Amino acid sequence: MGRACLVDTTICTGCRACQVACKAWNDLPAEKTKFRSKGDGYENPPALSGRSYTRITFHEILDDGGNLDRSVFVKRQCMHCEEPACVSACPVAALQKVKGESGSAGAVVYDVEKCLGCRYCMLACPFNVPTFEWDKTVPKIQKCTFCADRLEAAEPANPQVNDQPLAGESLERFEDTQRMPACAKACPTGAIEFGEREDLIAEARRRIEEKKKQRGSWQYVDHIYGEKEVGGTSWLYLANVPFDKLGFRMDLGERPYPEYTKLALDAVPPAVIGLGAALGAIHWISNRRAAAEEADGPETPTGREGEQAEAASEPEKPTSGEGQRAV
Amino acid sequence: MSGEQSGHMKVTRRTFLTGTAAAGVGVLGLDLSATAAYAREKAAALRRLRITTTICPYCAVGCGVLVMSGKKNGTSAVANVEGDPDHPINGGRLCPKGSGLYQLANNEKRLRKVLYRAPGAAEFEERDWSWAASEIARRIKSARDATFTTRNAKGQVVNRTMAIASVGSAALDNEECWLLQKFLRSLGLVYVEHQARICHSSTVTSLAATFGRGAMTNHWIDIKNSDCVLIMGGNPAECHPVSMRWVLEAKEKGATIISVDPRYTHSSAMADIFAPLRAGTDIAFLGGMIKHILDNDLIHRDYVVNYTNAAFLIDGEYRFDQAAGVFSGYREADRRYEKASWQYQVGADGEPVKDPSLRHPRCVYQLMKRHYARYDLDTVSGVTGTPVEALRRVYEAYAGTGAPDKVATIMYAMGWTQHTVGTQCIRTMAVIQLLLGNIGRAGGGVNALRGESNVQGSTDHSLLFDILPGYLKVPTASQPTLGAHNDACTPKRLGRLSANWWGNYPKYFVSFLKAMYGEAATGENDFAYAWLPKPDDGVDCSWLSIFDEMYRGNIKGFFAWGQNPACSGANANKVRKALARLDWLVNVNIFPSETGWFWQDKGLGLEPADIKTEVFVLPAAASVEKEGSITNSGRWMQWRYKAADPPGDARPDAEIMNMIYRELKELYAAEGGAFPEPVLNLKWDYFRGDRFDPHALAKDVNGYFLANAAFPEQGTKFKKGERVPGFAYLRDDGSTSCGNWLYCGSYPEAGNMAARRRREAGGIGLHPEWSWSWPANRRILYNRASVDLDGQPYDKETPVIRWERGKWVGDVPDGGWPPMNVDPESAKYPFIMKPEGHGRLFAMELADGPLPEHYEPLESPLTANPLNGRMLNPAVKKWEGEADAHADYGSTEFPHVCTTFRLTEHWQTGVMTRHAPWLLELQPQVFVEISRELAEEEGIRRGDQVLVSSIRGTITAFALPTARLKPLMVGGRKVQQVALPWCFGWLMPRDGKGGDSANLLTPNIGDANTMIPETKVFMVNIKKLDVAGHPEAAL
Repeated sequence: MGRACLVDTTICTGCRACQVACKAWNDLPAEKTKFRSKGDGYENPPALSGRSYTRITFHEILDDGGNLDRSVFVKRQCMHCEEPACVSACPVAALQKVKGESGSAGAVVYDVEKCLGCRYCMLACPFNVPTFEWDKTVPKIQKCTFCADRLEAAEPANPQVNDQPLAGESLERFEDTQRMPACAKACPTGAIEFGEREDLIAEARRRIEEKKKQRGSWQYVDHIYGEKEVGGTSWLYLANVPFDKLGFRMDLGERPYPEYTKLALDAVPPAVIGLGAALGAIHWISNRRAAAEEADGPETPTGREGEQAEAASEPEKPTSGEGQRAV
Repeated sequence: MSGEQSGHMKVTRRTFLTGTAAAGVGVLGLDLSATAAYAREKAAALRRLRITTTICPYCAVGCGVLVMSGKKNGTSAVANVEGDPDHPINGGRLCPKGSGLYQLANNEKRLRKVLYRAPGAAEFEERDWSWAASEIARRIKSARDATFTTRNAKGQVVNRTMAIASVGSAALDNEECWLLQKFLRSLGLVYVEHQARICHSSTVTSLAATFGRGAMTNHWIDIKNSDCVLIMGGNPAECHPVSMRWVLEAKEKGATIISVDPRYTHSSAMADIFAPLRAGTDIAFLGGMIKHILDNDLIHRDYVVNYTNAAFLIDGEYRFDQAAGVFSGYREADRRYEKASWQYQVGADGEPVKDPSLRHPRCVYQLMKRHYARYDLDTVSGVTGTPVEALRRVYEAYAGTGAPDKVATIMYAMGWTQHTVGTQCIRTMAVIQLLLGNIGRAGGGVNALRGESNVQGSTDHSLLFDILPGYLKVPTASQPTLGAHNDACTPKRLGRLSANWWGNYPKYFVSFLKAMYGEAATGENDFAYAWLPKPDDGVDCSWLSIFDEMYRGNIKGFFAWGQNPACSGANANKVRKALARLDWLVNVNIFPSETGWFWQDKGLGLEPADIKTEVFVLPAAASVEKEGSITNSGRWMQWRYKAADPPGDARPDAEIMNMIYRELKELYAAEGGAFPEPVLNLKWDYFRGDRFDPHALAKDVNGYFLANAAFPEQGTKFKKGERVPGFAYLRDDGSTSCGNWLYCGSYPEAGNMAARRRREAGGIGLHPEWSWSWPANRRILYNRASVDLDGQPYDKETPVIRWERGKWVGDVPDGGWPPMNVDPESAKYPFIMKPEGHGRLFAMELADGPLPEHYEPLESPLTANPLNGRMLNPAVKKWEGEADAHADYGSTEFPHVCTTFRLTEHWQTGVMTRHAPWLLELQPQVFVEISRELAEEEGIRRGDQVLVSSIRGTITAFALPTARLKPLMVGGRKVQQVALPWCFGWLMPRDGKGGDSANLLTPNIGDANTMIPETKVFMVNIKKLDVAGHPEAAL
């Protein structure tokens, strides 16, 4: 059991309420941005960062004649893997996957106070999500928290609105929406749906099948991104254009990343697993990914997640893995 | 006044989010507090919070918002803002602007002090309120006394001053709007205008001319009931983001979504069909649809025959002269029409002559058929640039809803209103909706998407030069007495079965005068009718005229109240120069604006020392810092509570008005002066000390019985001092008062209807007990046209009303009379606001023709109009001064069609959103969208700096070549379209790198009916700038 979000990109209008709602709930400062000379639309800020846990990427999909077929908008944030590479990579257990019956089960959370700033998680993450506070004197890793603090919130005693006690359906609506991620609550069209992961997979499957019955209509790609990738993620996606055209990595496989780490660490007695060992494991993953990026062909890894690759080419925002290595 | 002070609410401290980090540790063995360093702090703070509701202050969707506030340093402050999950429109959801409301309340850039700029000074000085109020009052009195006109050149009593003008504001609460119009009219101002003129004035006139009322016919939630949604002249996904949830719900149920726009927008991304068109050619596009409907007999015949004027015969002299491009009655000399030949033929019995078979050559149906015969697919395509195949797809999808059980709706905004043909553009769609039987129906209607949170209310409460509250008319110089005014404004019933509701005009007018002047308005003094200022007949006193007069130096004093005309005004260079010719400017706002700071504008070409205008900048409270109501686009009047104290010296607008008015009244009482009566006798009892009581004013707007009254027919009795339950009880003898008859019933003895929060269970989304909707809590206008002559709904699945066992059930019926077939003697036609009771396909009261006809914009790539012999709407006024330049037709200097648009993240001129860092982060700098083809031709790449120029001005912008814009084939040649957002301004961001307003390029010409400026289409050129910022020389 675990909570999850289903992002249906076919009903995302690209309004970016999620970006602002995230900043509002998490008290994140605005970034100083400028008009971007890259990308298909109004994307900003240019990459995920310690100040921006989520962002929308804009995609203009062209037809064979080079004309616009459609615009698609895709929300990016931590995928909250079922078996996160970052958790296994973290030498001090600052990152953890919440499991069990907890309200925030499914979230990958982190403890800023434990974080050493070693950045192994950044290297380990197949989605290049955790980012480093480059502008801080004691920089830490930051990323989407799944609003675990909202999800964990216990029932408020006698909530009142305009001094009238809430009851019945009003109370339910209040509590339900207080206990979902800020982005999912804000989303004007319901493109971000919050719920139990199993239920959302079933719902996604239902939408795909429902559309198939409507002949002559557009169709979903018959794939729920995140259902199986890297062993499954808590953020799931539907789309009506191939996922690779939307910057999703199609080369990740279904095997959880920590299994690769485990291979490297299994031979070592737990007592000596420390920074060095973790570093070795990360090095292994990192090399594997670098190799993957150089490979080509449909069935082999073809590249990095679109936004990160693009961010890397903007030198003023050294937030990607590439940027980090250069430092 | 806040709830605490008024006693309507008591503050409670309550626990919010008791779940904490610590709880997480216990359950999971995992320290969740660490999910973010601030989490513990925030959870602890939120536990002490009070939750109040408000309505978002940005667009007019009217989303519900929860504001969580607590005490900070002794004053109450906003701690968190989220969507109200109970609110039926947004269900807790908010767009990015709404999601960022926290930064509106907590913002270091908010105005906190009164600022004064002396003539020629280089800086502002901080002052206090008492100084500002007395100084402003003194300047008003001086200007008023020096320029007050008792009689005009013809000797008619006018009691006005033309030397002071005011614009603003749709950002005020309803109660404040009503108070502001009261205050301004007591001064004798006729130059009373605001945003509504420049955003939807053409909507009001167009829909009133067609259906009787000038407002969005249905409401946001109702869009879900549609079978086909046409999004044209608007872009709700970006400008009214939460409304898209209802569009997508309709789509989920199988509705077809169509987007027609010069650009492929985010709304287009949600549509099943997208069709591009050249900006400013919507009448041609829709005229083609009318032809398609008539040629293929796709009309809802029953509806058309019974409820529209299709069967009515028109005067034998009426014609349209294609070669001259004018309707009968045109007078070239003064560019006006004589409308005698546009009228109905009326029989000896007083009934209009009709042919229900629709075959008579003079009946409206046949006249329309002939008129639109010219709008064939090829001709239309040649005008609009829309490929023929795309036209056909749109026409077939939309016109298929003429079947009785099918219904389609339209969502439009500035893309239709801001044209020289704005009124007629909307009319074209209104005609289509009548032909298809889509008015009055759930999922139908003509839905004007209004863009400011209270622009519906500010229009209803008449911050416009030509109307009084509730769309009563401003008396003109030729109406010397109340009787003369009532005679001129009260229409005569046309036909025995017509309700002719406007026949009640005198009751509403006299009740309004009683609310204005209280006991000073008596039968003996014509209810103080003479005290209202009167413009001369036929003289436009609207927005464009104000700035023209200001430019000529004829206006001394000016209020810009919650408005930023330096950026929002068409031909903004002219506006900015005009401001420098004022003696004094009063600018009320919550943030610094390009208007209040105009004298620092380096683009003006003047040094501050040379600008003699005195400037008073007054800091206002934001929406969450005061209490009152606003009215959304769907006519829902919704109450907002106070959550926090305003920062520093900022005060609610009503209290600012009060401070100035009190000073002024004292001056007149002590010194006398020009025509002091209206100032001294204004009914002004809405304050406790200097604190505003919005409830007292809302009750005055609702209206009171001023004497005991009995209504034996209804079996009801009322005592003097009780509030009137509905406008049917208003009287013309001074025994009732009512500030605005449309809002009568909003605050009856039963309480504040706007504050109601009971959701509908099931049903079609009317939510009759959530807030209150004008008129009479009716949610869908003209709903008696949703049923057949037996009173049974055309659409059984989503019935609006139904006649059942001798009464109407469902929505409040638009007139309670029985159905035609049930009681042919006492029944009334459904369009009760029109004298003949029918929806008008053919509308005889407009300035530029009874049927919509395509004319080119003021600036166009064409040199001839393919549809008739005239380029520009023959009834528009053209200014020809030095600042009023326009490009020639077919200009090679300005070869590209330019349109302007709004961004999701910014609102209007951006004064509120450019100051919100989270929003500025998303859209930091001005850019221009161009096609990839144009980019290639001009050697422009994404991110290059380009100069966009019209004949009136230039702006520098970043280039955004995109596949979402394509060149169109127009008149046999390729035409490029470019598009600019208009939300930027030089003052903020402070580094000056945000750019400036697209309105520096737009033309100051208005629509023939309402003078709404044509800011949505003009001609430009675009050139890449070199490194030094100069246009690159042609190689």
